[in-house]
Amino acid sequence: MRGTEMKVLAKSALMIAVLAPMAFQIVRGQSNGSKPSAGARFAAPGAMDDATGSGASDVAKTLKTAAETVGLARWSGVGGQRLPEVDVINTMEIWASGTCYALGPSNKPGESGPAFKAEYHIALGYNPPAMRVEMTRSGSGAAAQHTIEVVRDKYAWDESEIGAGLIPGKGTATPAMAAVNNRLLQLWLLPYGVIKAALAAGDKTKLSTESGAAVLTFPLSGPLADVTVKATLDAENEVAKVETRSDNPAFSDLLTEIEYSDYKDHGEIATDVKSPGHIVRKQGGHPVLDVQVKTWDANNPYLVFPVPENVKQAASH
Amino acid sequence: MVPHIRFFKSATIAALLCLLPAAISAQNNGGPRMDHENTLPPTPTGPTPMTPDGHPDLTGLWNGLADNLLGVPNQMHNVGIEVGADATRDIHSGVQIATWPLQKRTRQNNEQNERAATLLRRMGSNRPIYKPQYWQRVKDFDANSNEEDPSNNCMPAGVPRMGVPSYIAQTPSYLVFIYPGQGGLIATATSYRMIPTDGRKHTNLEDLDGTWNGESIGHWEGDTMVVDSIGFNSTSWFDQLGGYFHSENMHVIERLHRDGNTLTWTATVEDPDVLLEPWTTTPRVVLLNPDPKAVLPESLPCSERDFAHVVTKEHH
Repeated sequence: MRGTEMKVLAKSALMIAVLAPMAFQIVRGQSNGSKPSAGARFAAPGAMDDATGSGASDVAKTLKTAAETVGLARWSGVGGQRLPEVDVINTMEIWASGTCYALGPSNKPGESGPAFKAEYHIALGYNPPAMRVEMTRSGSGAAAQHTIEVVRDKYAWDESEIGAGLIPGKGTATPAMAAVNNRLLQLWLLPYGVIKAALAAGDKTKLSTESGAAVLTFPLSGPLADVTVKATLDAENEVAKVETRSDNPAFSDLLTEIEYSDYKDHGEIATDVKSPGHIVRKQGGHPVLDVQVKTWDANNPYLVFPVPENVKQAASH
Repeated sequence: MVPHIRFFKSATIAALLCLLPAAISAQNNGGPRMDHENTLPPTPTGPTPMTPDGHPDLTGLWNGLADNLLGVPNQMHNVGIEVGADATRDIHSGVQIATWPLQKRTRQNNEQNERAATLLRRMGSNRPIYKPQYWQRVKDFDANSNEEDPSNNCMPAGVPRMGVPSYIAQTPSYLVFIYPGQGGLIATATSYRMIPTDGRKHTNLEDLDGTWNGESIGHWEGDTMVVDSIGFNSTSWFDQLGGYFHSENMHVIERLHRDGNTLTWTATVEDPDVLLEPWTTTPRVVLLNPDPKAVLPESLPCSERDFAHVVTKEHH
């Protein structure tokens, strides 16, 4: 401490911090890198007497509550007490372990097959939208497999090591452009992606109730525009279940159902960002992934996703 | 000590520390105290004074915002997050960020305020791209910055981390930059730079002893002052946040442009030893102190006494 007189000054600053004035509320959605939809602005919410309403104000209030619940919508009194709340989530890093399932013997989509022990290390970002999934799979009598799958914007590639292909002689980056949509979808179906995408969908986002639970339904944008997301909130306004559907046959393999539970701050450095501790993904009603989160660093860590030159060239062809 | 008492004590100390920059800025920067409702840069007004040799006159006390490096609004501005009346934008990526304008909201305690501030300071997209073998080191430095930050313990922040000088004196053959101590997020010692603008060349790099501020030489490119610096030690970090270390081969190019009563500063960092590509800071715009009688006050002595009481990795 630089002197006791500073404590007095600090107390003064604290008093200022709690005198945040009231004002109106407008919610503007996030573009996810594309032009914001015209409906991204919501009308100022009034009192929400009926949680089953589907008006824009109810949608806005539900999304704001969900965003604040997980620690996505934040403001700080440290010299910024008059600034609005903003979406603070950009980069995250996750370590998880559990079970993944191969396709069944019949190779029918969604049919559970052999189970494998899986270790996941995931780095992701929403600005720009990007994700690197490093997985080690072992068990069922097969040799251990280690994969690194990356997506950023319109590029997807597989790495032989983290950051492969950026420096000559340092690993190999293999273009995987056909996987762009699937990998981006996984990013937007995480709880924070759901809230961001629902905000970005503007007035296309609808609110309903099922068995007393709030349900948000909205389309994704860009290359995933044909995918509709249905997100169910639990009693604490956390994203508990996410389902996708599409009338476009090209997306039939991407349709999925994910359940999130056991929310808390899983970071080594506390952030007040709540993340799910248990994730179960299903296809066709069968689990394809069941993992427990060990650590979820939400503190906007240094994570970058530069696109290797050979991947850019492959995408341009 | 009983654990929960120890934790309470450390949290209280950390909370007081977090508020320290704002408290200091209120008393010692000499400019008017701003109550930010946005992070937009100030709009220039008035003419740009010129020196007899035909260059813009950069002389002045550039602390008109009172808190050039202090507080969340400027820290967000410094990473390229522009918060407007009802919208927020990352100026580097163009991404619109969801915004819920000010309204009645739940009171937060100091821990909540500081955790939010930590996220707000780090949410920008403009990040230097290190070579992959250094990605983990940058993350580790940032995560452990309470211990690793070289500007802790009252060490210099160095160039370009010091950012915009609070005072500039300009003569035909050199510039003097002054950076008061207690520089907001990076509580550090007072620093100054004397920058020749007489056309001389850099000393050979191998003949320079690496220093925090390096060897700086200025020249005009049109109406923009370009300050070229080499000869650094490898101890400092080059931006406010993020554990952005560098090698002794770092080369920094600062650009200062005056427009009326505003000064815009950027720094480009080149370091082929550790970076994949050059990196440029978000333009920082500061305001001339409107009080013609304003002077830089004496900086408070820097004496680190907190670290022994910090028991978590939370940032302050």
